[in-house]
Amino acid sequence: MGLIDKVPPRVVGESPALLGEGTPAFLTSKIDFLVNWSRRNSLWPMPLGTACCGIEMMAAFASDFDLARFGMERMSFSPRQADVLICAGRVTYKFAPVLRRIWDQMTQPKWCVSMGACASTGGVFDVYSMVQGIDTVIPVDVYVPGCPPRPESLIYALMMIQEKIRQEKLDQHAILRAEDPAAVAKPRADAEEIASVSGPFGNSTQQNRVSGSVRTDAISRPGDRIP
Amino acid sequence: MADDKSSFDSVAEGPRPSSEVTVSPVKVDSPARAHPSVTALTDQFGEAILRHEVVATDQHIVFIPPDRNLEILSWLRDDLDQQYDLLRDVTAVDYGGGRPLQVVYQLFSLFHKQALRVKCELPLDALEIESVCGLWMAANWLEREVYDLFGITFKNHPDLRRILMPPDYAEGHPLRKDFPLRGRFSRAEQTRRALSQDLKHYYFDDEIELGGESQALPPMDGPQALPSGENEAEAEVETGVEASE
Amino acid sequence: MAQKTVEFTLGRNPEMGMDGRPVMGPLAPIDLPEPDIESDNMLLNIGPQHPATHGVLRLICELDGETIVRCIPHIGYLHSSFEKLGEYRTWNQVVTLTDRMDYLAPLIYNCAYVMSVEAMMGIEVTERCKLTRVIMMEMDRIFGHLLWLGTFAMDVGAFTPFLYTFEEREKIYTLHESYTGARITTSATRVGGMMSEMPEGWDQGVRDFCNGLPRTLDECDTLLNENGLLLGRTQGIGVISGEDALNYGLTGPNLRGSGVPYDVRKDQPYYDYESYDFEIPVGEYGDCHDRYLVRTEEMRQSLRILHQALDRLPKAEGPMDVPDPRISLPAKTDAMNDMESMIHHFKLVTDGIHAPAGESYFPVEASKGELGMYVVSDGGTKPVRWRVRPPSFVNLAALPKLLEGHLLADLITINASIDIVLGEIDR
Repeated sequence: MGLIDKVPPRVVGESPALLGEGTPAFLTSKIDFLVNWSRRNSLWPMPLGTACCGIEMMAAFASDFDLARFGMERMSFSPRQADVLICAGRVTYKFAPVLRRIWDQMTQPKWCVSMGACASTGGVFDVYSMVQGIDTVIPVDVYVPGCPPRPESLIYALMMIQEKIRQEKLDQHAILRAEDPAAVAKPRADAEEIASVSGPFGNSTQQNRVSGSVRTDAISRPGDRIP
Repeated sequence: MADDKSSFDSVAEGPRPSSEVTVSPVKVDSPARAHPSVTALTDQFGEAILRHEVVATDQHIVFIPPDRNLEILSWLRDDLDQQYDLLRDVTAVDYGGGRPLQVVYQLFSLFHKQALRVKCELPLDALEIESVCGLWMAANWLEREVYDLFGITFKNHPDLRRILMPPDYAEGHPLRKDFPLRGRFSRAEQTRRALSQDLKHYYFDDEIELGGESQALPPMDGPQALPSGENEAEAEVETGVEASE
Repeated sequence: MAQKTVEFTLGRNPEMGMDGRPVMGPLAPIDLPEPDIESDNMLLNIGPQHPATHGVLRLICELDGETIVRCIPHIGYLHSSFEKLGEYRTWNQVVTLTDRMDYLAPLIYNCAYVMSVEAMMGIEVTERCKLTRVIMMEMDRIFGHLLWLGTFAMDVGAFTPFLYTFEEREKIYTLHESYTGARITTSATRVGGMMSEMPEGWDQGVRDFCNGLPRTLDECDTLLNENGLLLGRTQGIGVISGEDALNYGLTGPNLRGSGVPYDVRKDQPYYDYESYDFEIPVGEYGDCHDRYLVRTEEMRQSLRILHQALDRLPKAEGPMDVPDPRISLPAKTDAMNDMESMIHHFKLVTDGIHAPAGESYFPVEASKGELGMYVVSDGGTKPVRWRVRPPSFVNLAALPKLLEGHLLADLITINASIDIVLGEIDR
């Protein structure tokens, strides 16, 4: 993409006149469109189905829902040829390094869908062996709620990925998709963040060791209050 | 539940902390409800049959001393009137509060269509029992699971390793009552430990020996592990995703 | 109890000997010197992320050329500690955990768990509840076998049956959803009854499904039964004798494929299974092909049970739940209007059910084999120990034995033929 290198980086808040016909920005936006169009309509999913959600993912690939309509005809069981990782199901600490390794093996650009409550937050499994949300291990683009989510939810999540791709800019690619070699095989979140996301949050009234120290009612979440 | 005490008396009494509750299933000694195997066991082994209990109307439990489990179980399997040829399950029960752990064998005889439960009580300071792998191969993984989750050692087991938890799991034996549900370490520490494993946590010693140096993996942490796919061959050995293609 | 061996219309592949092992044709003798190549056995790792391992199973194989010398399964990559979590839940809350264990046939697990708790508490459920549970369990046996049929066919190289069986599975998903509100995680049972009365027309929906399924099964049979590829890849592969299978603790279709007619529904009947007219298909050779035939025949036998149970349903009028306010929730209108019922409702929801001290091991025939739910109570509202005797865990333990001396390509077939589900193996 030598062409892109010659284009001056886009300035935030640039005037719309610069996007007119014949300007460099016009050219890149057309290339953006073309590349993004081809990318988003030929996403190859890497199905990582571990548990119940994996069955719903299979249902989404099977006849009734037919994910192939969205350009996901070919399931890529090799991470090296995949574009979007669908992590469907529970992830344990024993499996976490494998998940991280699969993510590291995927080539850029790559996206990740965390399907189901267990993958997104740990779900009902607030226990010794379960990762409390795969976003502590790898970055996630779309979370799908549900236990398990219906196939329509997964299709919607993949459509959101497509929407995200549609908005990507190629000249930002090198910045947004840069990978730090030192981050390979390391958890995505630091200790503080893991502690903050994996505290008991109300689904575990019978079981947590610090119950009572954390308020779980709606009032404690400031965003829920109408001023 | 054969006596006149209602099953729901505990409702009126209200909940009790489980540490105060003593477990005393109802003993039934009436010959009409006796189990033929229990009678035969008492005739054969006498004092070694410590207790006999009946639970859930018709389920019979026999308590035997842990040091004679192999002898009694092999008799139960081989005697023509017993023929317990299917070992349904091996598990353990921890009642907590310092009480002994129970090892539970669920037996079934296909010929006589009879089920029998055999229990051994192990005090907490001597968690050792003879393995029954020689009698039923089914015991192999089941005993490994009990070892993993309860920490009971099965002597003469062919392959006693952790089975569900990682081999280097340092927090203890999860199904014991003194183990907290969310583990002993913090979530951050658990995540850090999970992702800082190296080769020896993925393969057992004899597997590493077999694989040899040529198939050895680089350590998981560190930038040299997988900068941009140079170590492809090793990575494929790791996740195996390419193995079938 | 005489077990009838179901006569399979299909003959054996003529190249198979009577013992089920392939008979090698006469080869032209080639007189080559022994190759003088120094070779080592090779280590091959398959999984934990591999499409043919049905989840996160990891197999380490020692290969001599293409022959498997030794196979070591590694499990635990999905260990979600159900049993520990169950000790922190009340008796009814555990039901929601059971269906996340075997997500291929969730209703069997729901039913088996509450049946064990009821046996421990000495509760006899109503006739209508029994029939409903029998219908649910048989429906989910078909549900599990259908997925197995699709993936098994896919593993031996045929993709079409997968699409056919998933079409039928979608119908069962719809039935699940109309009863329980969820497609997979059903949580349909409660101690002493069901979550609710059957919705209007649900039994007719089950009957429609039963009438439509044989056509799909016949279609799959047409595709697979005389398919030379399937016969070649399954006959004589993964043979295990009846004695060995019993010693390894195999149960379900894997044991019956080896000719041992052990089925909990016949041998330790529960819920009046002795009064239903159905047969236990039994294989002869104990290879992958027999296990395939046993499972397809089992679906047809389950259909027979379903029809009989649906016929009995209109005669079993009455309440679904045990009419005991200490176990079953009162009707919603009562709870709103009547003080007594409201207190019962409140106590049941906040405290949970009190089970008397005791224990129970209750075996049922799940789609994978014998499923035993072992519950121990100390008189409180939560289990002291909840143990699941996992059928596929014990079946998988025999995998190294089945694989001995086979080619690497057969590993996929054999692994598919024993029908595992990792959620229940790792628990």
